[in-house]
Amino acid sequence: HVTEDTPGLLHHVKFQSQNFESILMWDSGPTSPPDTVYSVEYKTYGQRQWLAKAGCQQTTRKSCNLTMETGNLTELYYARVTALSPGGRSATKMTDRFSPLYHTTIKPPDVTCVPKVRSIQMMVHPMPTPILGEDGHQLTLEKIFQDLFYRLELQVNRTYQMHLEGTQREYEFVGLTPDTEFIGVTTISVPTWSKESAPYVCRVRTLPDRTWT
Amino acid sequence: FGPCQVKGVVLSELWKAFWAVKNTVQAQDNITSIRLLKPEVLPNISDAESCFVAHALLKFYLNVVFKNYYNKRVEFKILKSLSTLANNFILIISKLQPSQENEMFAIKESAHRRFLLFQRAFKQLDIEAALAKAFGEMDILLTWMEKFYHQL
Amino acid sequence: NGVAVLPAPQNLSVHSTNMKHLLTWSPVILPGEMTFYSVEYQGEYESLYTSHVWIPSSSCSPTNGSECDITDDITATVPYNLRVRTTRDSQTSAWSTLEHPFNRNSTVLMPPRMEVTKDGFHLVLELEDLGPQFEFLVVYWRREPGAKEHAKVVRRGGIPVHLETMDAGAAYCVKAQALVKTIGRHSAFSQAKCVEVQGESLPL
Repeated sequence: HVTEDTPGLLHHVKFQSQNFESILMWDSGPTSPPDTVYSVEYKTYGQRQWLAKAGCQQTTRKSCNLTMETGNLTELYYARVTALSPGGRSATKMTDRFSPLYHTTIKPPDVTCVPKVRSIQMMVHPMPTPILGEDGHQLTLEKIFQDLFYRLELQVNRTYQMHLEGTQREYEFVGLTPDTEFIGVTTISVPTWSKESAPYVCRVRTLPDRTWT
Repeated sequence: FGPCQVKGVVLSELWKAFWAVKNTVQAQDNITSIRLLKPEVLPNISDAESCFVAHALLKFYLNVVFKNYYNKRVEFKILKSLSTLANNFILIISKLQPSQENEMFAIKESAHRRFLLFQRAFKQLDIEAALAKAFGEMDILLTWMEKFYHQL
Repeated sequence: NGVAVLPAPQNLSVHSTNMKHLLTWSPVILPGEMTFYSVEYQGEYESLYTSHVWIPSSSCSPTNGSECDITDDITATVPYNLRVRTTRDSQTSAWSTLEHPFNRNSTVLMPPRMEVTKDGFHLVLELEDLGPQFEFLVVYWRREPGAKEHAKVVRRGGIPVHLETMDAGAAYCVKAQALVKTIGRHSAFSQAKCVEVQGESLPL
């Protein structure tokens, strides 16, 4: 989207969002002087008024945190950046329509892998987001995505995998060989939105079996 | 959808079809200050009412939005997505059977008022702008359908 | 001016197995250069609301074979009309249209191929990879009188998966069926396969 553009002053104005932490980013153009300053505005789709983002006015930075301003998951948003060069040249560019639910990607889960003699426990820790619920508390990913589930794989000597999956937080792979190395891979999956997190990988060794020694 | 049963439609297929053209279609809608599927049209709908609203909206998309879009010179990628969405909407509508019982009259009326909010906003725009906006708001409609889809 | 002078393809039919849909026709034999074909489709929506609209197949417009994989074109569980014509340079034949519309819910679902192995006391299963539309219901049991069956849904084929940790000296059997959500159907169960912890894979 181009509103008014001095060629080469401003590029790639877009949102990057992870676990609903939404950052507006942009690039300076090939012809923009180093002391060009940028000002950010945002608005809710369907509203007339653009709102200036405090803290991102006349800044030389090339990013701006709009997490709180885009925190209503039933809304869609636009943001725009105006670049102003010392010579008085200016350019304004707008993002595509931003949908937090659609655009956000999922970070790898936070997992603790606990080896035992013949099993490995894997505990997935809750992942709060900056999104506030009606009660003012931070919502977790599980609360936001109704069909979110965890997928756990234990690679057994690179030939096959043990699979566990579910929505609970604690899992245990049992029936393992003592004193053996395994690779645990945990991902978060949200089928509705075809989202899948990058994997959390833990390399862990079962404890030696000392019962006969 | 609430009391209506819809089986055999995997919404992720519809999502994929829309995502393939989302930015292209939404870029054609440069009226950022108007939203057709406003919060008051969709959210906070009772289960019972959702069936009526879904039926009305899907029928409008089939009879007006998609139909007119087919007559525009659209690129091949959009035509394919349009076909996937339209044919799945036909399937959903064939399974959505809103109850015709008398005591549902009040709910039906409330649903109809919600739909009129959407239709009035659509008619206030020039037809080309309205078509682009309605098609571009498919993500709002699909997000809403997701909620009710999971409550079956 | 491209008026229909070429013979149109005949004997159109669709062969659909495990959600792979193949449109075939009798090749048109013409002397000289190669003959090409164009395939188009129309879903229930297009035929009801915009009957003039036909959509070129994503993989066969044009093609020089006498078949076309239309799997990626059929993206809803509704009847689809399909048509083919011959093309050569600027010449085209009349369209030949499939006699009966095709609906993907008529696909033939075959039981999945599977391999049952063991690694120590682990019962391991690898199912055929049939694509993203498929899940599998796997049923396994310890082969002894009155044994209880266990069931598990496996979301993807093509990856060896641990099913169970077996008891020494026991034999375990496994069977599986393919599930397709988009058409709400499943295949028959596969032939059961068994392994014994110390023995080799035993045919039933």
